[in-house]
Amino acid sequence: MKSLLWRLAGHLTRGLAMIWAVTTFTFFLIRLMPGDPVQVQYERLIALGMSPEQAESGTAMTYGFVPHGPVWQQYLDYIVGLAHLDLGVSVDSQGIPVADRVFGAMPWTVLLVLSGILVSFLIGVGLGVVAALKRGNVVGHSLSIAGSLLHGVPPFVIGILLTALFTRQWRWFPSGGIYDADLVAPGFYADFMADVAYHTILPASAFALASYGGWLLAMRSSVASVLGDDFLLAAELRGLTRWMRFRYLARNAILPLFTVLAISFGLVFGGAIFIERIFNYPGLGMLLFASIGARDFSMMSGSFLLITAAVIIANILADLLYSVIDPRVRRQT
Amino acid sequence: MSIVEIWPTVTAAPGVAIEELTIAYGGLPAVANVSLELKPGTITGLVGESGSGKSTLALSLLGAVTKPGKVTRGKVVIDGIGDVTKLGAEELRRVRGSKIGYVFQAAQNSLNPLKTVGKQLLDLGKAHGVKDLREAHPLLERMGLNADRVLKSYQHELSGGMRQRVGIMFALVLNAHVLVLDEPTTALDMITQANILQIVRDIQRDRHLTTLIVTHDVGVVAEVAQRIAVMYGGRIVEQGDARRVIAEPKHPYTRALINAIPRLTGDVDAAKPLPGTPPTLGTIPLAGCVFRERCPLRMEICDTVEPVAVGGVACHAVNKGDTP
Amino acid sequence: MIAKFARQKPGRENSNAAIAGQLARSSSPRRRFWRGVWVALKRRPSRIAGVAIVALFIFMAIAGAWFYPDRLPYDVNEVYAPISWEHPLSTDNQGVDVLALVVTGTRGVLLVAAAAGLVTMLVGTAAGLYAGYRRGAADSVLMRIADFVLTIPGFPLLIVLTTAINVGTWWKMALVLGLIGWGGLARAVRSQTLSLRERGFIEAARGLGLPTRHIVVKELLPNVAPYIATNLLIAVTAYIYAQVGLYFLGVLPVDTSNWGVMLNNAVFLSGALISPDALPYLLAPLGAILLLTLGVVLIVDALEEIFNPRLRES
Repeated sequence: MKSLLWRLAGHLTRGLAMIWAVTTFTFFLIRLMPGDPVQVQYERLIALGMSPEQAESGTAMTYGFVPHGPVWQQYLDYIVGLAHLDLGVSVDSQGIPVADRVFGAMPWTVLLVLSGILVSFLIGVGLGVVAALKRGNVVGHSLSIAGSLLHGVPPFVIGILLTALFTRQWRWFPSGGIYDADLVAPGFYADFMADVAYHTILPASAFALASYGGWLLAMRSSVASVLGDDFLLAAELRGLTRWMRFRYLARNAILPLFTVLAISFGLVFGGAIFIERIFNYPGLGMLLFASIGARDFSMMSGSFLLITAAVIIANILADLLYSVIDPRVRRQT
Repeated sequence: MSIVEIWPTVTAAPGVAIEELTIAYGGLPAVANVSLELKPGTITGLVGESGSGKSTLALSLLGAVTKPGKVTRGKVVIDGIGDVTKLGAEELRRVRGSKIGYVFQAAQNSLNPLKTVGKQLLDLGKAHGVKDLREAHPLLERMGLNADRVLKSYQHELSGGMRQRVGIMFALVLNAHVLVLDEPTTALDMITQANILQIVRDIQRDRHLTTLIVTHDVGVVAEVAQRIAVMYGGRIVEQGDARRVIAEPKHPYTRALINAIPRLTGDVDAAKPLPGTPPTLGTIPLAGCVFRERCPLRMEICDTVEPVAVGGVACHAVNKGDTP
Repeated sequence: MIAKFARQKPGRENSNAAIAGQLARSSSPRRRFWRGVWVALKRRPSRIAGVAIVALFIFMAIAGAWFYPDRLPYDVNEVYAPISWEHPLSTDNQGVDVLALVVTGTRGVLLVAAAAGLVTMLVGTAAGLYAGYRRGAADSVLMRIADFVLTIPGFPLLIVLTTAINVGTWWKMALVLGLIGWGGLARAVRSQTLSLRERGFIEAARGLGLPTRHIVVKELLPNVAPYIATNLLIAVTAYIYAQVGLYFLGVLPVDTSNWGVMLNNAVFLSGALISPDALPYLLAPLGAILLLTLGVVLIVDALEEIFNPRLRES
């Protein structure tokens, strides 16, 4: 138990360090951008007729730091603001705090990503076992090729195809949005959640289809490698039932996949942008995309930051999960 | 169905008779026409170099032939079980572990790395419909292990010697009476080796086992076995009483093996290795004596006719009486 | 003397194993490698198809533009023309031939992706080798950086960077792409270097007094090369798609013509999703992507089997 806590502490420190690094990076990025957006904003506010002090505080509110003064002072303001979860104010949509919009969009993205990953994991692992056991013949080979193909293709391809097929060609699913405002209003009740689910199925499937190939390949190679291990032969020679032996195989083969899980989160969030754009899904990816068009830098850095934070947290969780499941890791101090 | 019903009150050790067994991989025999008898209550040592087919032969006692191998001739008859080669899949599964025990080498990971020893023991019991596993504790204690601690441990927490003993426990916990040990002392230090061999001897005696030890180390055979069988190229070239064969080996291969062992006393150069390399599955000659390429007693007839075992020795030269 | 030869004839020397053994001893490691490649390719004809496909795309990138004039002809009367010999893949919403668009669009993205791949290879290999060779502090630092680069979600970062820095020129784009993606390669190279170290390669060479440069170039690199190759192939494809994605989202300006721009037009602007006439305009770039992926997948499959015999079916 103690070792577990140590590991958690270690992860948290590393995670925080990374978030800090990313925020510093983003901060200096904004300052260094050509056509310094902060300066631009300041001048824009002046042009609107504000006094210099007002313009300055207005800009400060937008970006989270005062546009004048030494850089390190600005930097500190920024960090302090972050600690208060104040991500500045959206340049574009007048005065709405970035934090509000970003935290409002996050649950949708989390829903999408989680359901997509879950489905793709289940399908991929299941098919991966089949592919490994039937390695020699056509079934196994075509499964792996199909998996690799879908996995290698960029996610937006699948998104486009699904949209074209299921929202235009055959109007089975809605073409976008997260819920139909004409029908339901937000709240935790069945009708609303059903509508949300209805809108989420297609984008989540796009996700699932795009990523199950990775799980399939990873599982296939893991099973292939475990099949050669002695303990399976030992189990057979001790007369354990088929079902028992299969479970021995499966649990041992799935274990290394959890490290893959950690890495895949980063990729998944990247793909989220495409999927959300194509399906008009109001998540973090859509926010990021919208902020680019509007050159809304505070929104951009805010959503980027949150995406990164989400990935880091997911990594930590996956790593913890792994150390709980694998007894070899657990008992190390 | 528990063990007690299949195998009523056993106090006598079963005999094992291997008759003209041939196991082939796509036409090439890894074990060719082997006849070997394991007398009840004895320990037999099966000696040979790597590739001699001894592991394949040992596995055949459990009906386990690694694909794509097949038993093409002969049978393996065990008292109380029947011909192992003819058993169906489910019968075979029930027999393994409960009537015949197999012990892996210490270096191999014969345990599931993700489960404790105790849990795997329970799995074993469940697979054979046995709830009463009380044999486990005394077995482990008897081998010098702290049973409670070991049962709670994972494989990676045990040393090589401990794993070996746990393996022996697994093989015997359901009261099997036929025991096969694959290289039980390889990869162990000298002291542990001696311990393990002592354990094998004691257990053999107390539980009335019939044991087959597969090894490349003649010393192990000398120490524990009553009978010895020497394999080369898939054939048994000599078998008989262990002490006699080791003291007075008749087959040229056996002689070479014994001669290669340096003695404690005398000239160290007296130990001579055998020139050449043992054959692999692809290079075993299909006709004639498999040992002829390295044999100092080679004759014309050895090229074409495979020698038949006479008095335990399969060699033209010896059986003709031409040995010096 | 003749009798001795005559006696040696029947026996093991003529067996297949012996012949194979002699062959193995006679040819150099490099020849054996290429022969192994050939065998793996022949085993499944689909793999030769993979090589052919990728070669086709490379050809299109290099030579494609020569087949067409600089400014592709457009004819407003020929918008979404039916499929014919003149326009095998129909035309877009301005009457420009789609096939021409696909072919000419290949060069830009492939060029940048290849350059990015070069950057990644240099930085990743250097970092991985150095970290694995030196270990200690350098290793920790380098791997922390690599982890950092790996964890940050690549595509969002790419979007932010391209908006922040004006990546007008192709080499700036290549640099940005390459620097985002070197983390994976560095890790792979490092772990391979470490395992080589474990196998005593480095110690042995050191013990022989070989200079560092020799060890790295002659001993480590050849063993690491297969991982670099596979990794690089996948990375370059990822860079191609990253660019297509950027154009598709409209993040990069739509002034040039390439697959991403085509997709952007098709999906969001031209209503290609609705009218069946415009379908080829949508499907052509998709098809190109699918085809390229297929080719790469087949090649990687072949590479994996060459370098990892465990996956081979016996």
